[in-house]
Amino acid sequence: MAIEGADLVKAAAFIGAGLSMGLGAIGPGVGEGMVAAKACEAIGKNPREAGLLTRTMLVGQAVSESTGIYSLVIALLLLFVV
Amino acid sequence: MGELGLIHQLIIPVFGYTVTLNLEVILMTWIVFAILIVFGIFATYKKGVVPRPLQVIGEVFVEQFYHLTEDALDREMAKTYGPLIVSLFLFLLLSNWLGLIPYLQEPTKDLNTPLSLGVMGFAIAHYAGIKSKGFKAYIMEYFQPIFFMMPLNLIGELAKIVSISFRLFGNIMGGSIIILVVSYLTYNVVLPPLLNAFFGLFVGTIQAFVFTMLTVVYISVQVK
Amino acid sequence: MNMATDFEPIIRLSAYIGGGIAMGLGAVGAAIGEGYTAAEANMAVSRNPKISGDIFKNMLVGQAVAESASIFALVIAILLLFLETPSAGELKAAALFGAGLCMGFGAIGSGVGSGFPGGNACSGISRQPAATSRLTTNMLIGSAVCQTPAIFSMVVALMLIFMDFGKAPTFPTWAALIGAGVSTGLAAIGSGYGGGLAAGASCEGIARQPESVGNVTTIMLVGQAVAQTPSIFGLLVSFVLLFKSFPESTALSASMALLAAGLSTGFGGIGPGIGNGMAAEGAVRWVARNTEHAGDLMRTMLVGQAVSQSTAIYAMVISLILIFVV
Repeated sequence: MAIEGADLVKAAAFIGAGLSMGLGAIGPGVGEGMVAAKACEAIGKNPREAGLLTRTMLVGQAVSESTGIYSLVIALLLLFVV
Repeated sequence: MGELGLIHQLIIPVFGYTVTLNLEVILMTWIVFAILIVFGIFATYKKGVVPRPLQVIGEVFVEQFYHLTEDALDREMAKTYGPLIVSLFLFLLLSNWLGLIPYLQEPTKDLNTPLSLGVMGFAIAHYAGIKSKGFKAYIMEYFQPIFFMMPLNLIGELAKIVSISFRLFGNIMGGSIIILVVSYLTYNVVLPPLLNAFFGLFVGTIQAFVFTMLTVVYISVQVK
Repeated sequence: MNMATDFEPIIRLSAYIGGGIAMGLGAVGAAIGEGYTAAEANMAVSRNPKISGDIFKNMLVGQAVAESASIFALVIAILLLFLETPSAGELKAAALFGAGLCMGFGAIGSGVGSGFPGGNACSGISRQPAATSRLTTNMLIGSAVCQTPAIFSMVVALMLIFMDFGKAPTFPTWAALIGAGVSTGLAAIGSGYGGGLAAGASCEGIARQPESVGNVTTIMLVGQAVAQTPSIFGLLVSFVLLFKSFPESTALSASMALLAAGLSTGFGGIGPGIGNGMAAEGAVRWVARNTEHAGDLMRTMLVGQAVSQSTAIYAMVISLILIFVV
């Protein structure tokens, strides 16, 4: 197996992309789940405000997803730019 | 096991490029359309105050999804977007159930179907957003909270298309692969019918509902 | 000396390592889960010593189901240790190692997760002895569905053990086989754990309001089915890696792309699986307290779960790009 410089850089970039998106997905996934759980709790306590609570939940989740989007951007950069 | 990844295609050369038509998926989509149209004709045929069975089924679907749309948007908007949402759900539901019938495939198993539906929902949501907020306010939203966040906001929006369509595709494709592999391993004894019931009916229904709800949610986030 | 005997030591070596990993990691989850069940059962007995017999029975049944994940791991480990692999190529070594990784990681989540319904059912019985049979039924359904990700891992591990990779080129394919194992195995952790959270909350809810059992069980099953999506994505990537034939290439980058595809979907499935389980837990808990608004809660749960899955979907997209594009 011949390993050259360019090949090594590419291999590292691929592994980096996989790990970036893979590990980067853990935090937002758990965090957004927490938001959804608390939104369900709030709707259970106060069902009349279900619409407002769902919208608040979506905004909160969108913000906590941004770190996942950053990982996606980094992964795509590693795959196609580096 | 050779059935995995076997797709009937029609490749048409056009001015040096090739256009690939996926005949199987087109046929299956038209079968779903045909079932829906026939159902629609029979459900509205001789409708009366005392409804007939098919009319009741139709009314249940229409009413439930109108309520959903009204809850997420408001009454005026529900009139515009309600029919879209109801027909989207019915189309997806039948598509996901189609694989239960021997020799037929789910059209949603091919990435093109969910992706085009996702792009459609995305376009409609952004059209609704521009229409209700005005073009300037719509553009300004991408520069929140600071102007240099624009590329990230843009990718975040585009990623919604990816997530909505790959969710449906992954679930339906994953389900059908599991059914195929387990049928092969158990020589078609006992397990496959149960798996068909779980992945076809149960997961198919849930994913059709999730896709429809997310389309409503994307519209409502853009509008408000 | 023919080719087959040449590879025999390497294949045995990786089979033994794989078997050790499968059983070692596979025991972690079930041990934690069963410990949780036993701890809750002890608390339940101290609260209501009169019905200690019922609680004890329920604890044993719950632990028996929670154990099935590690029994799957035992089956795979035994196969890896004692299966003869006559005339197999060197790819079999990678496949057996991948099978061990897959089953070892895959049993963790389901083992921990199915301890929650068992424990909560025990403490529920001590509060509401009248609902014992409903609680036991619900516990069995919940923890059985919790095992699905471990079953997915076992299916992939069995395919890795029994499939014939004779003609495939060794050089990128070894990474594809290990990647296939890692993808399903890691992705199963989150889904198994998350499904357990939902099932545990349902047992607690039924103990609080036994009449709500129909609604609670339905929402639990819907929540668990959606929480399994990340592990289905893991399975999808594994099957693509197993069945696609890759052109021969001795470049390191070709192999690493396939390994990274497995790692991405695998790790990416952990968080969303747990998050989806948390969302389902919240919804199930409050459906039991507020049955009239079950519809609202289910809708919010589904939207919340769908959004929290999106990072798993990005991870799957990166994997598919790594497999098909680069």
